[in-house]
Amino acid sequence: MSVEVKNVTKKFGSFTALDNVSLKVESGELVALLGPSGSGKTTLLRTIAGLEFPDPGTAQILFYGEDVTQIPASERKAGFAFQHYALFRHLSVFENIAFGLRVRPKTTRPPEAEIRARVDKLLKLIQLEPMAGRFPSQLSGGQRQRVALARALAVEPKVLLLDEPFGALDAKVRKELRRWLRQLHDEIHITTLFVTHDQEEALEVSDRVAILRAGKIEQIGTPEEIYDNPASPFVYDFLGNVNLFSGRMKDGAVVIGETEFSLGEGTGETDTAAVAFVRPHDIRVTRQANGPALAALVLRSNAAGPVANLELKRLDSGEIFNVQLSKEQFQELAPKAGEPVFVELKNVRVFSDDYSI
Amino acid sequence: MAIKLSRSKKIRVLPGFKLTLGFTLFYLGLIVLIPLAAVFWKTSSLTWAEFWHTITMPQALASYRLTFGASLLAALVNAFFGLIVAWVLVRYEFFGKKIVDALVDLPFALPTAVAGITLAMLYSQNGWIGQLLEPLGIKVANTRLGVFVALTFIGLPFIVRTVQPVLEDLDPELEEAAASLGANRWQIFWRVILPMLMPALLTGFALAFARALGEYGSVIFIAGNIPMKTVITPLLIMGELDMFDYAKATALAVVMLVASFVMLLAINVLQWWTNRYNTHNLA
Repeated sequence: MSVEVKNVTKKFGSFTALDNVSLKVESGELVALLGPSGSGKTTLLRTIAGLEFPDPGTAQILFYGEDVTQIPASERKAGFAFQHYALFRHLSVFENIAFGLRVRPKTTRPPEAEIRARVDKLLKLIQLEPMAGRFPSQLSGGQRQRVALARALAVEPKVLLLDEPFGALDAKVRKELRRWLRQLHDEIHITTLFVTHDQEEALEVSDRVAILRAGKIEQIGTPEEIYDNPASPFVYDFLGNVNLFSGRMKDGAVVIGETEFSLGEGTGETDTAAVAFVRPHDIRVTRQANGPALAALVLRSNAAGPVANLELKRLDSGEIFNVQLSKEQFQELAPKAGEPVFVELKNVRVFSDDYSI
Repeated sequence: MAIKLSRSKKIRVLPGFKLTLGFTLFYLGLIVLIPLAAVFWKTSSLTWAEFWHTITMPQALASYRLTFGASLLAALVNAFFGLIVAWVLVRYEFFGKKIVDALVDLPFALPTAVAGITLAMLYSQNGWIGQLLEPLGIKVANTRLGVFVALTFIGLPFIVRTVQPVLEDLDPELEEAAASLGANRWQIFWRVILPMLMPALLTGFALAFARALGEYGSVIFIAGNIPMKTVITPLLIMGELDMFDYAKATALAVVMLVASFVMLLAINVLQWWTNRYNTHNLA
């Protein structure tokens, strides 16, 4: 276990940023902290780095079993990269990366030749060798973030902490850089935690994702686990588009309108109000009902992009929902606005009552 | 550079480059260059030999040493303490902060003669501070130390007011980044904060130094004006003027002018060098 957070609570005045959070990260793992703004994900990362300290109590932070709760950031050996890079603009790229080595006390500072060799190696790793002599103001955003990463890696940290590392970059550079980060992690296997509010980024890059909400970890698991088995309506909603159908529970099934959809497993509950969650791509649209289906009206269709999107309206309750079809399915069906269709729901998830988006 | 740009007829969002540059040159000429040229013009009524004799007479040499030496020292001391004042005003919250902040500007606003008389009274043998220093064998009034004290007094706001806004804008993430890389507090200050403040600090230093060179009112009351010892160059110039020897007076003024210009230029070059990383051309 390389990073362990136990019972950390952090309040800023009356605002609770972290509410008794515990988290374990395996050695060499890449974990994403995902959540909306204000969920406490950055505070958690800063607490691990030693830039914030947990409220006194039973809180503990361990690096490889060693208690670092009271140790300041400068002695924690946690590499930190900021959203806006925080590069030293009066130093060249080379000197930025060398900074952490140069500030070491004389007894542990490597000789000049070794510093040069290490920085050169890192420059190669981030593919910026020709830029060594430039100042940060002469680099693009993506290049700056790579320099910030190299600077954090130069001190050979026990853990790498990235605070929204791609947040300030445009969409294309962002995608490139997160693929590069994944490759880099596969090469050097350093325990990494990174904060993001972009679910796509979290699901694509990380080994495990921790979803935070209002200072608590709502769910933690591999991307597949949390996408396929969301533990709460919040996680379900946060990880992608979702349609809500209000209905009633009936042992092992949910009744929406007049139609009964099987949930595959017995829930025991009967006749309570429930909300069914269905992803837009888990809805099948047909012209004839075979099996349980709802009757709906096509409101709008949009086939631009890799998939086609339909907007439908339930005939019985008037509720509007979205459906995603592949291009092929869309061409086969060729729906027109105002046309009546039937929809079958797959992978229906039910969370008992009063949750609304 | 400026001429090149105007030739290439770049289309700009805001027009008026030629107009504003013309106005700038006209204004500088009227307010600064013409009076300064007059100094040189008046001096030229002297022969080279007379000129050389005037500017190298022992009283003059002694006054240069005092004026430039005390000004430089005062600006250096102000750079150090002014930085601390700016630091305290930016980084900490305390009762009466606004008042302290306002006090910093006082040397700007006070008529220099008032400052001079006040300082002379405080530091005289029977003054509040002077009587405390007397038993220690430290004399301030009527000594070179007095000149230095007066010049330090008038120079402080320049450092504080130039460093303060830069310090306010300094991103705290820079310090956090340095800390996470293992730097201790001293290293963070020396290697991160101070280099960032350097251009502003140099500007403040240059302003305080320039102001001290030309200071007259506050110094003459506390200096005692003992020939060869505590006479500053501006006073020497006044002495020549009192004897209606305008040519000699302007000859001394020329020396001050040229020396000041050279030193300020040197500081500007240094400042440009410390600020060289602030380029904005992307790769």
